[in-house]
Amino acid sequence: MSKILESLPMTIVAGIILTIIMVIATNKIDNMNQSGVEKTFSDLQKKMN
Amino acid sequence: MDDFILFFVRYLHVLCGVMWIGILWYFNFVQIPCMPKIPAEQKPAISKVIAPEALFWFRWGAAGTVLFGLILAALNPAYTLHEAMTFQIPYIGFGMWMGIIMAINVWFVIWPAQKIALGLVEADDSAKPAAGRRAMLFSRTNTLLSIPMLFAMVSVQNPPGL
Repeated sequence: MSKILESLPMTIVAGIILTIIMVIATNKIDNMNQSGVEKTFSDLQKKMN
Repeated sequence: MDDFILFFVRYLHVLCGVMWIGILWYFNFVQIPCMPKIPAEQKPAISKVIAPEALFWFRWGAAGTVLFGLILAALNPAYTLHEAMTFQIPYIGFGMWMGIIMAINVWFVIWPAQKIALGLVEADDSAKPAAGRRAMLFSRTNTLLSIPMLFAMVSVQNPPGL
């Protein structure tokens, strides 16, 4: 890790990779949250029927 | 009026953030790479004059950014502070946690180490190189984190649609 941090270009590349990981994680969390909302909505519809 | 308060707190948050990250990038993109090229007799101009002044605005910029950021998250009607910090709003969650980790690095690692490295506190000469290296590595860590942190913060207001 310190080898990466000693080099400014490597630090920037690592920052960009971390950004990509964060975007993927965000999409996964968003999908999970979406699924939760959809499940609640579907449960509510079942109760109403 | 509530909208104006929200706007003004966000403005102060961004103002402090520019001060903080601007000086962080000055250290990492300008000062650290240039130090080996500066003649020995001119180095004290950096270590005794410019760096201590830059570190003052750097650490208080960090404190202001986090303070106004937390106030902003608490006042924001779109989400609660708890929702933000538990990743229910993922981008703001990632951005906030990275910003908080970076500010902790500034106040509890970089600043204490820089005080030793720059000779602002009493310390053995042998401790100075290790302190300087510790400050540099944590400053680089913050530079690394600043890339996704800024992406996350901008994405909250302007979703990238990825």
